Amino acid sequence: MGSLIAQIISVTLMNLGSLRRRLWMSLAMVLASAVVVAILLAFLAMAKGFEETMRGAGSNQIAILMREGSSTELNSVILQDQVNLISESAGVARDANGPQVSPELYVIVDGIKKSSGTEANIPLRGLNQTGMAMRTNMHLTEGRMFVPGTNEMIVGEGVLREFSGFEIGKEVRFGKNLWTVVGVFSTGGNIFESELWADIKTIQSHYNRGSSYQSIRLQLDNDDGLASVKETIAREPRLNLEAQTEREYFASQGKQLQYIATFGWIISAVMALGALAGALNTMYTSVADRAKEIATLRALGFSNFSAFCGTIAEAMVLAVAGGLLGSLAAYLFFDGLNTSTLGGSFTQVVFSFEMSPDLFVQGAVLALVIGFVSGFFPAWRAARMPVIVAFRHAT
Amino acid sequence: MNDLYLIYKNMTRKPLRLFLTCFAIFIAFLIFGAVTSLKSALNSSVELSADNRLVVFNRINFTQSLPISYFQKVAAVEGVKDVTHLNWFGGYYQEQSRQIVSLAVDPESYLRVYEEIVIPDEQKQAWFNNRQGALIGEKLAQIYGWKIGDRIPISSNIFTHKDGGYTWEFVVSGIFKGDTEQYDTRQMLFHYKYFMETQTFGNDWIGWMALTTDDPSLNEKVAKTIDDSFANSQSETDTSTEKSFNKAFIEQIGNIGLIIFSVVFTAFFTILIVVGNTMALAIRERTGEIAVLKTLGFSSARIFRMVLSESLLVAFIGGLSGLTAAWLLVEGIKTFLARFLPNLILDGDIALQALFFMLLLGIITGLLPAFNALRLNIVSAFNRQP
Repeated sequence: MGSLIAQIISVTLMNLGSLRRRLWMSLAMVLASAVVVAILLAFLAMAKGFEETMRGAGSNQIAILMREGSSTELNSVILQDQVNLISESAGVARDANGPQVSPELYVIVDGIKKSSGTEANIPLRGLNQTGMAMRTNMHLTEGRMFVPGTNEMIVGEGVLREFSGFEIGKEVRFGKNLWTVVGVFSTGGNIFESELWADIKTIQSHYNRGSSYQSIRLQLDNDDGLASVKETIAREPRLNLEAQTEREYFASQGKQLQYIATFGWIISAVMALGALAGALNTMYTSVADRAKEIATLRALGFSNFSAFCGTIAEAMVLAVAGGLLGSLAAYLFFDGLNTSTLGGSFTQVVFSFEMSPDLFVQGAVLALVIGFVSGFFPAWRAARMPVIVAFRHAT
Repeated sequence: MNDLYLIYKNMTRKPLRLFLTCFAIFIAFLIFGAVTSLKSALNSSVELSADNRLVVFNRINFTQSLPISYFQKVAAVEGVKDVTHLNWFGGYYQEQSRQIVSLAVDPESYLRVYEEIVIPDEQKQAWFNNRQGALIGEKLAQIYGWKIGDRIPISSNIFTHKDGGYTWEFVVSGIFKGDTEQYDTRQMLFHYKYFMETQTFGNDWIGWMALTTDDPSLNEKVAKTIDDSFANSQSETDTSTEKSFNKAFIEQIGNIGLIIFSVVFTAFFTILIVVGNTMALAIRERTGEIAVLKTLGFSSARIFRMVLSESLLVAFIGGLSGLTAAWLLVEGIKTFLARFLPNLILDGDIALQALFFMLLLGIITGLLPAFNALRLNIVSAFNRQP
């Protein structure tokens, strides 16, 4: 047994030592597997970053209510008396100021994207003190809170990163109204950072919304809170609302970029097939190139198995080198890359590509698979070729 | 023994290698064809915009509405040929997931502004005369099997009906086509008046306006006149050409598209490099044989042609089959993706680009070995042999 391992090791070392002779072919194989791994990681990092942005936003303790039939806040309309009705419902948490209910309204305004210089949709959300307090992970990183009743707003860090003209102290004009940026807030990297926040009454009056809203956020008083709220809605015909937890809502909004991850896997898989063809070519050439050496070894008494393992090891070393190169490239180019896209509510969602360790693992697995498959068949051929034939063909 | 036979023999001497090489090229062009089609489908709305058509939106953002009184004022602006107004209805059929591009419009002016809509005269008149009537695009009608005279319930995810609920009933008055194959006919058009009378909120507001100018050269002047006349009013306007608006809208989807395409293209070229390397190597291996051919009296030019033909042949076998597969794939998923990407086709431009890359691959991989063969000194070639 010990001698078999020794054989494998010496054959492998010999194969690797002779790589220089096949420099271009070997580099081709490294490159092929690097590309496949890099593509896969790029897609996965994008999907991962988007998912994190969405997931971080949702709380299980907060319910979001919208008009029945509207899938996003943008399309929903809720009236003041509905807000009053639902505030009295069981399941809604209360504190010293009364029920913790936040009716919210947003309008879509234009911002100028730094990357392209073109206009893009940003939500300007109006909320009250309760709504602000409900977002427990929100904190101001700069400046101060807006004063209710004035044209002051605070901007999310994502908006600040991706759009120009929202620095603190700047005045921003939307239509006839001039707004002043007085603060910058962070909500731990989630989707709310892609928004502008201001006082709800001011927005209602500036945009002729009367006393209408688009969504209601409720702090639930316990785990059955949502059920109680749903019960109230079912009982009261004036409440044509649908309730779900914030987490559910954002999970459904995050679905669309999941398609990109799937698309990424499909493209990478197809590309991997192409790269595999290239890698197999490389390994067949490599084996043909060394047919005489392998035959000599076997004539000397090395086992078929060690010749087989040596070839596979060579292929895997090349593929893994490619995988590392691809991961490195993906990490350098994509990790932390800021971008934004249209989200489910028809507004920009700012997020970063995120290269987490489990993505590297997936990339490494893909590289190993490419290496193994592209090594296996040529190795099989090398190990089974009769020694005499190998000598005859090697010239 | 003619040249073709020699080329064929050379090419197939290692069938496995030939197969693998062609397969890699096949994959590369399959992806190229499919992804380029996706990309051009995304951009098609820009390509199809009329040169003299402008859109007028609320300056705050295109989702904000405008007062209907603006309509007459815009119509009076000099240089404006026809103007119409549109409201986004947010319609869907039976289920939320079956979204329909549905617009409440002013029928007569709409058909004047959007000249690409082709519809028989009697259907047009029937629509004008029936307030509940709707014009359905050909593709949309196909998807749900609607025929003229059908009564169809369409729900809105924005508006509520006066009678309660979110569902409006329409009668199919006509089915329209576009004047080009690419024109997206998955739309539904219905009377603004009917919409206004039956909804519970949003009275007398219009979503946006579309207008044609007498001549594209007047575009800028007309846009400025319109925006100036509403400056400092309650709803300021932003007028731009349809083309630039569509372009800006696509950019909203963002650099994500750009990132995906650049990643895929990098991969495409890398695969070509890897394959090209193999192909070039396959010819380099044969230096000795080429020397023999030269000794036998083959002219250098003839050998050059043979080597180049071989690499071109490999590139085109792999490339054309890949492109064909891409075409089949695009045709196959076209109906499935019709909801998101109406204009998914692998058209002539894409095929030409692909052919160009195949040619490039064949030439680059063949040229260097072919030149080597051309300049090969017979004596030194034989010396090189082990």
